[in-house]
Amino acid sequence: MTSEKKKVGKKFSISKIFGRKEQNPIRIADKNIHQWKYTTCGYCSTGCSIEIGLNEKGKAVASRGNANADVNRGKLCIKGIFEHELFDAAGRGDKPLMRKAPYDAWQPSDWDSTLDHMGSEIQRIQETYGKDSFAIVSTGQLLTEEFYTLGKLARGCIGSNNYDGNTTLCMASAVSGYKRSFGSDGPPGCYEDFEHTECLIAWGSNLPEQHPIIYWRLKEALEKRNFPVIVIDPRVTMFAQFADIHLAITPGTDLALMNSLMHVILAEGLEDRDYIDAHTNGIEEVEACVKDYDPITASKICGISEDSIRQVARLYAKAGAAMSIWTMGINQSTHGSDGVVGINSLNLITGNIGKPGGTSLSITGQCNAMGTREWSSCSGLPGYRMLEKPEHRKQIADFWGIDEEFFPKKRGLAQTDIFPAIEAGEIKGLWLVATNPMTSMPNTARIRKILEKLDFLVIQDAYADVETTQYAHMFLPAAVWAEKEGCFTNTERRYNIVRKVQEPKGDSKSDFWIFNELAKRFPNGKKIHFPDTVEEAFDEMRELSKGAGRTLDISGMTHQKIEDACGIQWPYTEADAKRDEESTIATESGKLIAKGAQRLYTDGKFQTPDGKANLVPLPFVDNNEVPCTEYPFWMNSGRVVEHFHTRTRTGKMGNMNKYSPTPYMEMNPDAGAELNVKHGSYVRIVSRRGDAVVMVQLTQRVARNSVFIPFHFHDCVNRVCLGLLDPHSRQPAFKQGSIRIEAVDQDMAAQLNVERRTY
Amino acid sequence: MNIKVNKEQAATETKTVEFYDASGNASGFNSADVGSVRNKQEINEEALVAAGNPTPGKPAIEIGLREENMTGLQKTLRKYNPWFIARNYLDTVGTDNSDLDPTPRPIFEVRSGERDYAKLNDPVVHEANRYGTMIDLLNISDVPVAEGRSLEINGNPTVGENPNRNKQHGFHFTADNCIGCHACEAACSEKNDLPAHLSFRSVGYVEGGSYPDYKRMNISMACNHCDNPVCMKGCPTKAYTKHAEYGAVLQDPETCFGCGYCTWVCPYNAPQLDPIEGKVSKCNMCVDRLEVGLKPACVSACLGNALNFGVVENTPENREQVKTSIPGFPDPTITNPNIRFQQTKSMPNEMARTDSMPIKYHKQEDGSFRSVVDEKEGKALSWNLARLSSRENPLVIFTLFTQASMGAFILLFLGCVFGIESLVAIKNSVAYIPLLILLVALQAIGLLLSTMHLGKPMRFYRGFNNLRYSPVSREALGVALFFTGIAAFTGLEVLSFGMGYLEISAPAITDLIPAIQTGAAYFAIVTGLIGLYWMVRSYRIPARPFWDHSQVFTSFFGTMFSLGSVVLGLVAVPTLALTGNAELASDLLQITAGLAALGLIAEGLGLLNHAKYLNTESGEGAAAHYVQQTTFGKTYILRNVLMAATGLLMAIVAIALSETTLGLVVAAIAAPAVIVSLLIGRALFYILVIPTTMPGAFFWKNKGFEEHARDVGLADMPQVGVVPACHH
Repeated sequence: MTSEKKKVGKKFSISKIFGRKEQNPIRIADKNIHQWKYTTCGYCSTGCSIEIGLNEKGKAVASRGNANADVNRGKLCIKGIFEHELFDAAGRGDKPLMRKAPYDAWQPSDWDSTLDHMGSEIQRIQETYGKDSFAIVSTGQLLTEEFYTLGKLARGCIGSNNYDGNTTLCMASAVSGYKRSFGSDGPPGCYEDFEHTECLIAWGSNLPEQHPIIYWRLKEALEKRNFPVIVIDPRVTMFAQFADIHLAITPGTDLALMNSLMHVILAEGLEDRDYIDAHTNGIEEVEACVKDYDPITASKICGISEDSIRQVARLYAKAGAAMSIWTMGINQSTHGSDGVVGINSLNLITGNIGKPGGTSLSITGQCNAMGTREWSSCSGLPGYRMLEKPEHRKQIADFWGIDEEFFPKKRGLAQTDIFPAIEAGEIKGLWLVATNPMTSMPNTARIRKILEKLDFLVIQDAYADVETTQYAHMFLPAAVWAEKEGCFTNTERRYNIVRKVQEPKGDSKSDFWIFNELAKRFPNGKKIHFPDTVEEAFDEMRELSKGAGRTLDISGMTHQKIEDACGIQWPYTEADAKRDEESTIATESGKLIAKGAQRLYTDGKFQTPDGKANLVPLPFVDNNEVPCTEYPFWMNSGRVVEHFHTRTRTGKMGNMNKYSPTPYMEMNPDAGAELNVKHGSYVRIVSRRGDAVVMVQLTQRVARNSVFIPFHFHDCVNRVCLGLLDPHSRQPAFKQGSIRIEAVDQDMAAQLNVERRTY
Repeated sequence: MNIKVNKEQAATETKTVEFYDASGNASGFNSADVGSVRNKQEINEEALVAAGNPTPGKPAIEIGLREENMTGLQKTLRKYNPWFIARNYLDTVGTDNSDLDPTPRPIFEVRSGERDYAKLNDPVVHEANRYGTMIDLLNISDVPVAEGRSLEINGNPTVGENPNRNKQHGFHFTADNCIGCHACEAACSEKNDLPAHLSFRSVGYVEGGSYPDYKRMNISMACNHCDNPVCMKGCPTKAYTKHAEYGAVLQDPETCFGCGYCTWVCPYNAPQLDPIEGKVSKCNMCVDRLEVGLKPACVSACLGNALNFGVVENTPENREQVKTSIPGFPDPTITNPNIRFQQTKSMPNEMARTDSMPIKYHKQEDGSFRSVVDEKEGKALSWNLARLSSRENPLVIFTLFTQASMGAFILLFLGCVFGIESLVAIKNSVAYIPLLILLVALQAIGLLLSTMHLGKPMRFYRGFNNLRYSPVSREALGVALFFTGIAAFTGLEVLSFGMGYLEISAPAITDLIPAIQTGAAYFAIVTGLIGLYWMVRSYRIPARPFWDHSQVFTSFFGTMFSLGSVVLGLVAVPTLALTGNAELASDLLQITAGLAALGLIAEGLGLLNHAKYLNTESGEGAAAHYVQQTTFGKTYILRNVLMAATGLLMAIVAIALSETTLGLVVAAIAAPAVIVSLLIGRALFYILVIPTTMPGAFFWKNKGFEEHARDVGLADMPQVGVVPACHH
């Protein structure tokens, strides 16, 4: 090239490469997005604001995080990134289906006759066997307005007391523990606490897999200001590996550790005596109880050295603000509720409740587990009201316009007790709403047998291929996620709004519509007003949330305000709304940003009769199924980041499913060598309940006497799981049990693996 | 010119050292580090010179001759050139010609409230990278590039406002932080609309230690937009361009014909061959996002704060290291990749891979890790004969047939030229034309199979686009010209035979034929040998250590002798024997057996040398050798025994037995054994190679699981993300 040519400031077109005559331009996938629609992610309970891109035909083709949202600040995890694909994922139901018996073929039907039949069957069963012989098990997946409407239908029209949500499988222990400590449900902290805390303990929580966005918020806080992170987990998760201190605890013994931590704190005078005196009851009983849990004794139980126990206790107690987060490692245990109370007590005696960076924050699982806790009436009446309180029964009966005697005076069976009641013949009919017990309940064989006994099983789900449908008499195709509109509440009590992005698939209908229509088939359905729009239902909830001293007050919120603020935390009262309107905080777009309460109990006043929190003594009783000679391995189960629950959604989207398309088990290579189990081969795991075939991944991530199996797969870990129930929360102990490992014919196992994978 | 460049290079290097010395260790490596890297770099440059890079040390910013740079005559010639007209027509076959949206619009729509983590932030830029390559790409482009020209992404003429758009950019990966959450991979696949079986970015991991002192290190890897883009140099179709904007190495799937050679040469598994679409695609650096000041989608999606992006050599905020390697990352001196790392947390001495590759990483004295064999499948010897068949079967046939055809033709033609009686007799025999047709057919079948092996066979003509750099282009051209030569030679032979047979007298033509034939034959021999040489060179790939050895030379040229002689001998010796030329038959038996023996001995010695080299090597070459000795252990031994035995027998026949019936019998037995041995050997050559790719995960990017999924039928479910066995 001549220097002259080099000087030429000619505009070149880069698309003309290599001197070819017909050149191709740089092509980068252009999804031709015409509109981005605001909505809220429908997987876990982090509560991320998400935007779905629609092309010119109005089809959802892209997802992105909303950068204005404080929760996720523009980020999404793998599941959210592909959320637009779920509308068209395989297995969706698009027509109501009916059949006489589960062995008959499905007959497509129309909504009117299907719901007529459903209404008459429910009433027939109730008339024949009693009001409570028809049970309803709901979910954490619906929108809050739908939960409220289902509650109205279940409590106000159908009137069965055997009505619960599948949140019993995930958050019941947190609910129960919060109620026992603070007098009410409701996580008192928020993600912003990471910015203030000086010490964080994660109890049985694997944030990077379970709640990657919350992990990122924590990581961001740590990049700004380092503080000790302690992870308690029997498995060396990425979180455990990245923690400053990892306590590899013996499964099922966290109560001993909590007691011992409190023992050290109280013995060394590190507690916040002023806070204890001013805001709690029961310190003496706790002091007496934890005396038995000196670090030496505890170390023998929980497998953590006495020095580590002392070190962590001192670190936690001396921190200016310290917080605990937990997930299923605590909740899914034979003493899950006690575990939550123990964490609360630890925070109460160190004065770490209701202050920035000092809190007990349960990290919730389902997108709207909080919504169902708040408004579905599963465990009581709407708005954290209780059936046991006459004034609550009266209030709701009056509001709905029915006789208060229609309500039972005590909460009925929890989900995990409903199935044994079917087994015992007390319950004859069951309505499952967006839950899949054939995969999600412990001891699959037992559940299978129980479902076979039902006279009438209705499945209401977005997916016609959920495994439980094989026992159903009726299938109601529901709209999924952003095919409808309404609210979710996240882990930090934040209401966020799901906006409708697409029309429901085929003839499927929103759960809200289904509940409204079914209500018309019951006498009380004509007395109670069932509004036609979710916004009106929200107005009812706002009305019911008002009241002096109530924490769950959403009266200042509207759907539009929630969207404008990308979520509002409760309590957010009418007074708060007025304050915000009068203030000058406005965004560039001129939208008013509502700011709810970040924390509960900041004034040290709790939802108990005397306003003081309860400190409860928690003696540790080891009723776990521990490994023995016959079943020498601890069996632990948990989540992987690419899957959600029973894979009805994520199992069908290749860009997620491909990271773990078949069931597998983490096993220690030393144990593998002893049993001659090869990496990547299949084995059969056997427990006292049954067996399952899994592919082995040998890794030192798990202890030599321990295995880990993701729970998402049908016909897998829950076939062997015992699932003892927590006495308070009735939540099953999914994560502690024992198994043995047997050889299996590799070809047969591979064939089985293929046959078991419909998705 | 080379000298000048090297001088400039040296000057730059000095400057770089000073620069880094001045900034101390803040940049994460000291001058000693730079020195050691540079030593390797020098060695590597020799390799690059050998690989056909005319300007060592100079990055190949190759934009090429544009229409704007052509003279009027060039343009006119081009316009009426039938080759270009035909080519331009063929270019439209099977090509995505969908209209581009002409609406004026931003190159990429920045979302409302975009956060800082997604925004490019490089206030200071270094002058040169640690290898001495200028970071300002306008300085090193070998064609004039105007500052501020449009990238015309999807036909959009807007010019990005990024002040650093002509600087080399690269990824920065903090291995300490990666949680393996797949958000980067997902964001990439979402943005690029990729099906499950493809991904421009993948996360794998290495792990070590023992419970609870267990460490897992996740590695997220995409294209590293290298200073020395071996993909671009290797690509025969010129589908690749290294752009003066951001230094992005972009590939055009619509130019690609799906040979997959770039996937062989890339040490990082960046180019993705889609067996369903039959073409390659890869990371595009999200240049659309860069143009509007945003970091790539993967970086913006990172939830562990592990992945970052900016002008290369810059230390991201809150980070302290800019290292060139971490455990599991291939030797950076192969391509000078534009990726830097931070990895401060100590790792166990041995880090294993969870995927099926028999590789692990061992800590060396200086703290770096090198790949060594991991004997995952024990030491048992197996046959695994069924697994000899692979998707590279067409290449097994192509290379063997090509070599056989060349060997036989050269022997036949030159033998006649030198007046070797037995070969002259063949020329005059009834078998001559069938023999020639056989050789043409062998070559035709080979070429056809290698063409059909392409993802887009209709685009075969693009194979010669990159004669300047690509050994594949040169190989393809050489073999194609050889084929043209022998086809012409054979055609003329048939023509003159036909004219004789039909008693057509046309002296003007008949007199010319021998001269043209001689020309065609020499043309075929020269181009064939050049083609064969470049065929050898095509496999000298630093990212495939099993191949990158002189054994490829001895094997391919050895096979030319051995297989060529066997083919010739199998036809010619019986012909002579049956036509009563017993003496000439034993002469020819001696010649062909002797040459076959020479070819086999050469190949055998090469293999011996190869095995010796592999035994002392660590890493992927040794791992391939381990697989060769175990999974295919019995097959390997069979091949070696056959090769040694047939080599020996052929030698004995040539030396002592060529005049005996026993010699004929021995040769008749040995000849098919030679073919079997060579077939097994060539099949092993393709299936054994282990590339220096990134570690995979347990399911994703695990060859073992992919194979299992195909075998048992899991791959038939598209959501498993494994492409079912494809039959071309």
